[in-house]
Amino acid sequence: MKLRYYILRRVLLFIPVLIGLSIITFVISHIVPGDPVGLAAGPGATPAQLDTLRRAYGMDKPFPLQYGQYMLNVLHGDVGRSMMSGHSVLDDLRTFFPNTLELVILAMLIALVVGIPLGVVAAVWRDKWPDQLSRIFALGSISVPAFWLAIVLQLVFAMTLNVLPVGGIYDSRSAMPTPHTGFLLVDTLLNGSPAAFGLALQHTILPAITLALGPVAFIVRILRADVLETLNSDWVKMIRANGMPEGVILFKYVLKNSLIATVSVFGFIVGYSLGGSVVIETVFDWPGVGLYAVKSALALDFQPVMGVTLLIGLLFLVVNLATDLTYGVLDPRIRYG
Amino acid sequence: MSLDAKKHERINELFSAYCRGRISRRDFARGAVAIGGLTALQALLTACGPSPAPNAAPTTPPIAAPTTAPNVAPTSAPNAAPTTAAVAPTPVPPGATQLTATQGTSKLAPQNLVYAGGQDAPTIDPSDRTDYSIGALSMQVYDRLFRYEGGWPQPVDPCLCTKYEASPDGKEWTLHLTDKAKFHDGSPVTAEAVQFSINRTLQLQKPQANSLLPIMNAQSVQTPDQYTVKITLTQPYSELPRVLVQGIMNPKLVKDNDGGDNGATWLQNHEAGSGPFTIKSWTVGSAYELEAVPDYWQGWPGGSRLAGFTWKIVRENTSQRIGLISKEFDVADTLSADDLPQVDAQPHLNSAVNYGILTGYTKLNDQKEPTNNADFRHFLAYAFDYEAFKQTVNGYAQILTGVIPQGIPYFDASVGGFKTDLDQAKQFLAKTPWANGGLTLDYVYVTGLSFEKQIGEIWLSQLSKFNINVNLIPKVWPDIVAGCKAPDGAPSMNMIFTGYNVTDQWFFYQWYSPNWDRQTGGDFNTCSFTKDSNFNGLVEKVRATTDETEKKNLYRELQTMIHSQVPDIPIYVQPNILGFSNRVQGYKYFGAISVDFWRLWLDDSKATVKPS
Repeated sequence: MKLRYYILRRVLLFIPVLIGLSIITFVISHIVPGDPVGLAAGPGATPAQLDTLRRAYGMDKPFPLQYGQYMLNVLHGDVGRSMMSGHSVLDDLRTFFPNTLELVILAMLIALVVGIPLGVVAAVWRDKWPDQLSRIFALGSISVPAFWLAIVLQLVFAMTLNVLPVGGIYDSRSAMPTPHTGFLLVDTLLNGSPAAFGLALQHTILPAITLALGPVAFIVRILRADVLETLNSDWVKMIRANGMPEGVILFKYVLKNSLIATVSVFGFIVGYSLGGSVVIETVFDWPGVGLYAVKSALALDFQPVMGVTLLIGLLFLVVNLATDLTYGVLDPRIRYG
Repeated sequence: MSLDAKKHERINELFSAYCRGRISRRDFARGAVAIGGLTALQALLTACGPSPAPNAAPTTPPIAAPTTAPNVAPTSAPNAAPTTAAVAPTPVPPGATQLTATQGTSKLAPQNLVYAGGQDAPTIDPSDRTDYSIGALSMQVYDRLFRYEGGWPQPVDPCLCTKYEASPDGKEWTLHLTDKAKFHDGSPVTAEAVQFSINRTLQLQKPQANSLLPIMNAQSVQTPDQYTVKITLTQPYSELPRVLVQGIMNPKLVKDNDGGDNGATWLQNHEAGSGPFTIKSWTVGSAYELEAVPDYWQGWPGGSRLAGFTWKIVRENTSQRIGLISKEFDVADTLSADDLPQVDAQPHLNSAVNYGILTGYTKLNDQKEPTNNADFRHFLAYAFDYEAFKQTVNGYAQILTGVIPQGIPYFDASVGGFKTDLDQAKQFLAKTPWANGGLTLDYVYVTGLSFEKQIGEIWLSQLSKFNINVNLIPKVWPDIVAGCKAPDGAPSMNMIFTGYNVTDQWFFYQWYSPNWDRQTGGDFNTCSFTKDSNFNGLVEKVRATTDETEKKNLYRELQTMIHSQVPDIPIYVQPNILGFSNRVQGYKYFGAISVDFWRLWLDDSKATVKPS
């Protein structure tokens, strides 16, 4: 009952946070210098065209009224329309967000699958060669700029070895699979086409690896430190003295007790990756929400910027809540209320 | 029924049952996992295998091959011949222009081409935007009244309009349409469709309407009969055929999908045209697949034709180069000069470097000190090191030899351009109050555009020789546009790229003062804020005259005026650099960044033969 109350309270707190976020974004996007109307109307637009466009986007009204109208529309499910493309922002988010989410999920899976064993190995073989190797790998992963790594991967796997595509989400010489959910990998499975799934997966591999490397480094270093600390605790010494097998100690008890900090960081990384994978999306021409947000921001197309901000903000809140709830699963001593 | 089809059917049943609430979420998930698990396993094995060869048959159903033979003469257009019979660019009645057949004779099977386009096409609505990507795709699915892709300088070739007449004052225009053209649903392209399309463009007031709104209104287009269009302009305009670039839409289809916004939302990813291609799939932000209309009414001008093409969005030129080399793409449209040696070194690739209309000017604020001083502007024109800039872009820049690029009709080489001459520069500076320098100029350029920054660095280096400092200010594009509204907020120097297909627009949009000296201000084109009533009068006169000799003289006078007043420093024409697989045939440069897919075909026998 307390957990439900806690979740409800946290969900209710989403509202003021999102309102605050919307106000900040709305104010910033309106006070930065620039002329989105002139840009959208194009060169040589007549004064009448400029006025029409300004009116159509409510930009002829006082600022508070513009914000009020925008939020009223949002409450009615209308997140606005791009001034540049004329697209409904909601439709654009439906198109681009699944691509980003799919990429982030795959990247995070890679990060966990690689990062957790490496972190544990580094701690168990502290200061031995596996630890040194994992340290070099982690430092290298975090130091290498994503755009550089992306281009190197393209050069090696697309150009030299010619085993993976250079970019995009699907094979240029094949028909796009019929969409069902917007998640390409899922859609290819729903279409019952393993070949199409394979093609989609091939396109995801390089961007997912590039996106995963940073998080891998974080996970390895944080987990290593926590596992070391746990391994040195008295209760581990006690169960080891009682003759419990090392594998059980490590994976059943030590790992579980060392994951709290990693989960905190991982939650943050997931939230950040959802909106911040723009470099990877640009290099790999991955039509995701990060690229959409940056393009809109550069054109001062404020309605898509607002839409993306609210979506990413909401996701951050949800991921944070999920992270907090995971603490309780990992450590039953943690109580909510 | 195949195994895949069975799986597909089972998934659909499951999905349908779940949506209707007949099964629980858990049952749906179980069912989907059971089917999907096996599929995923198969797929993983496939994915781990070698990548399919770029030109191999795709493993998923490929874009359907056309059902008719590639070179079968079109049933509806026996006389199609766009490239051989050009409508005279003069509005003087040219008489009937007979179209002749241009069917290719080769028996090459049409294939699909993959095009790496550097820009997204968020819409294909012919009344909407004017981005190069949208224009390139739109002209493949929509026919226009004229074609302009026959070469560079651009001719005005017939398309839907086979001949036209203009009144001597350039206000009344009569356009005669072909009766052969058919929309993709089989209905004829009539005068009513032309009227509907132009009026819709005017009504929506999007960038595509910008060149029409000053000269037309809702009553301008009349249809005396099914294949005749009469256009009465609100102001005389002699270049009308060059601005009627909008695709002609099927009115019925657009009205059927009106959606309360004049079909704008529907037309973002659907088409209502009569062009040589039709949309197969439209994945916003990713790829656009078009397939050929085999019996296209105007026929196919090349040795063969394409079965279709995919416009894949590839923003980074490095990715474009890699994709070309790995044979993933057949054409890439925005390569950088740095990519050329690697592309040209490949036995299966070639490149094309052409200079069209995209022109870089350092715009000077003519209303603010010190650039309001004509001598100071002359000083700047002679002080800039044009050759140094050319070297910074590996020589791939065409320094302007006049105030407009060479390929533009009525370009007059006798007017001349500027060359670096520090002695001349010194003489002009000596006539100004800043003979000893001691001032700082702001130079604004677009953040991230290295070539604009390089121009700024050359300004900085050159002007430092005269004790003048240059403050390099990077700004995002909307900020620059806002800064160009009025002289007060504009910097002394602003690096602007612009370009037009129609000669008068170079003068009208850039230096015609009513376009900035108004309540709503100007745009980036008017950023020099030139104000000269004599010049304005000449622009109005040249836009109205239909007399070729008078036009030529007026354009010479206008170019001379701009050269002598130096409102801006004309710097260079940007190259259009495209990379091609050798098997791509039929490319013809027409001044644009992209290609005309209608003219292209693929010939595998030429894959290792570099074009001469």
